[in-house]
Amino acid sequence: MLEEMERDDRVFLMGEEVGFYNGAYKVSEGLLERFGEKRVIDTPIAEGGFAGIGVGAAIVGLRPIIEFMTWNFSAVAFDQILNNAAKMRQMSGGQLKCPIVFRGPNASAKQVGSQHSHAMEHFYATIPGLKVVAPAFPADAKGLLKAAIRDDDPVLVMESETLYSVKGEVPDDLDTIPLGVARRVREGTDCTIVAYSRMTHVALEAAAALEKDGISVDIVDLRSLRPLDEDSLVDSVRRTHHCVVVHEGWPYGGVGAEISDRVQRLAFDDLDGPVLRVTSLDVPMPYNAKLEELVIPHSDRVVAAVKRALNR
Amino acid sequence: MAKLLEMPKLSPTMEEGVLTAWHKNEGDEVAVDDLLAEVETDKATMEFRAFDKGTLLKRLVADGATVKLGQPVAILGAPGEDVSALVAKAGGGPAAPAPTPPKAAAEPSPLSTTMATPAAAPSPITEAPEAQRVPPRAPRSGGVLDRTAYAPEPVAPADGGTGRVLASPYVRKVARERGLDLRGAQGSGPGGRLVAQDLDRLKAAASPEATAMVRAPISTLQPPGPALGEPEARPLSMMRKTIARRLTEAKQKVPHFYLHVDVDPKPLLELRERINQELAESTGDGGEARASTKVSVTDLLIKACALALVRVPECNASYTDEAILVHKRVDVSVAVAVPDGLVTPVVRNADQKTVAAIAREVRDLAARARTKKLRPEEMQNGTFSISNLGMFGIDDFAAVINPPEGAILAVGQVRDEPVVEGGAVVPGKRLGLTMSCDHRVVDGAVGAAFLAELRALLARPMRLLTG
Repeated sequence: MLEEMERDDRVFLMGEEVGFYNGAYKVSEGLLERFGEKRVIDTPIAEGGFAGIGVGAAIVGLRPIIEFMTWNFSAVAFDQILNNAAKMRQMSGGQLKCPIVFRGPNASAKQVGSQHSHAMEHFYATIPGLKVVAPAFPADAKGLLKAAIRDDDPVLVMESETLYSVKGEVPDDLDTIPLGVARRVREGTDCTIVAYSRMTHVALEAAAALEKDGISVDIVDLRSLRPLDEDSLVDSVRRTHHCVVVHEGWPYGGVGAEISDRVQRLAFDDLDGPVLRVTSLDVPMPYNAKLEELVIPHSDRVVAAVKRALNR
Repeated sequence: MAKLLEMPKLSPTMEEGVLTAWHKNEGDEVAVDDLLAEVETDKATMEFRAFDKGTLLKRLVADGATVKLGQPVAILGAPGEDVSALVAKAGGGPAAPAPTPPKAAAEPSPLSTTMATPAAAPSPITEAPEAQRVPPRAPRSGGVLDRTAYAPEPVAPADGGTGRVLASPYVRKVARERGLDLRGAQGSGPGGRLVAQDLDRLKAAASPEATAMVRAPISTLQPPGPALGEPEARPLSMMRKTIARRLTEAKQKVPHFYLHVDVDPKPLLELRERINQELAESTGDGGEARASTKVSVTDLLIKACALALVRVPECNASYTDEAILVHKRVDVSVAVAVPDGLVTPVVRNADQKTVAAIAREVRDLAARARTKKLRPEEMQNGTFSISNLGMFGIDDFAAVINPPEGAILAVGQVRDEPVVEGGAVVPGKRLGLTMSCDHRVVDGAVGAAFLAELRALLARPMRLLTG
């Protein structure tokens, strides 16, 4: 964000606690000091209001970054995102554009309760007019965020509270990472695992366990949910003939259902078995730590799904 | 004394029928007039009922088998009777053709080209193959998503080549490319599904003989890609066979010629509006249920044609080699589109019925036509046909005559058009009518006379109500 704010003075940050508190998760640390109160704006607890202000600012030419303290709270701003941000370009016949970024942590953290543990991405990925990214690694988080800020359409960046502490190489000269391009984070021959955000790490864990059983897993980290990189999916399934999708959202009509559809349709003749999904269980998130652990996908469930896909 | 039950003639034109479903099992008691089975004939699905009482000792054909008229289908007798001699007689008789495989397996898979070889042909007597039954669905495990993927019960190796091969899409693709024959192979996947790991074994197992019978791999015949070059083979239903036979016969044997007129449909449409308003209002006072039927343009045209046919009876006639039969009854066939084809139920004595009665009858016939519940005699012995494609947006077309009728009227849609009235061009409506005539019966001048009568009736359609 700092680099982009330096690069383009139309870029500003707005949200709850982004200024004087340096961000609820310290994501915006030091920005207020550097850019001042005009470009780093603390808001009241009113997501619908400041999301709408952001949309308006984007339409008249600024490039706002709207932070939701978590994506759970975006539910009260859903109308602004669905009906204004996503539709301005089309409904104005291309006369208006809405270069806005909405970002914040998504999905479960640790015992934050049912109402604060939502994986919101599939609600948004279903909407034409929006772009949705969900990085798993620090370098992707940086590159995709930069691309999101420079993009002329609304882009939703789904971060993860539990991934804020993940450390990783970020090349000094890293610029933007294109939206809509997946990355193969592990090469394998027996089964494809499709994942994103925190579940990419769960998939990697599962792959390490499966390797001990002689099963070689290919992992596609989607990075972008919309646009979706169909080519990478099909490429991988052509090599492995099996596919397991892992994500944290609910199963009904989720991102996994979308990917299942694309894989069976685009790679039907290469499938050796049905596409399986590992998702959160079809319940509101329990607060109880043990139950929560059961609901969120863990690597042992991914291992079991891959074995079942391979009939082992 | 046990006896053979043979396929009866269930419609006047039936030559063979598909025994779609048995209603009695082997060992069941059968009383006179009990429903033994349902049979799809060239016309409709008919009931095959028992003429005698006894015990059903043996079923000789499976559900879905196509059976020729007179071919033995079952053995009826006393419990415990020895039927081996009769089975041999039924099976050994040269007249007994091989039943076709049940519908579920009727669609040939691209891999099953060897099915037609004599060695693999099903025996004339087939037990209902258990493997054809749809296996019960795997029970849900508490609504949890990652439950075991649905897998059918294991399938016994297909005997007689009628079993569906269980193989993953990938295995099927590789088999197509390599020319592998998957029939009879047992897979190692769920429910015996052939999966990728079975491919090596299959390759080794493919005998040179079997490979030789398989057609050349698609890749050598056409550019690579999904098997788009392969058409989807849809088995002919009895209805499609009948349509093909009768229409080919009609177009080859009947010398068609066509007469076209454009009429002004406005008076007819106005009358229809008024009739339907009347009918709607009469429902309001708690009147009879009959009022719920609306009158359509087709209904009015049926009545109009019937009256015109009374005035020009030469168009209400059939050709035979001995004589032209001029009918005294006016029975109008109406073409009705149904799933997979069309049928022509007949409105009898249409000249004597009221328009409302015709409307009710057409509605009833069409509804039953769509569910295949028409009796064969309801689709026979029309004297003239009407086919209306107006509701499908067709302006005008020429229909094929429905033998032995002498003519058919094809009706298009009502078109908004500039028309000339009193020397000036004004907005108006037109309806295209094309009559196809059998020239052996109807000459051009006679056909023209009929159309003139029809046009006059449509210009003053109140006459349709007054007789």
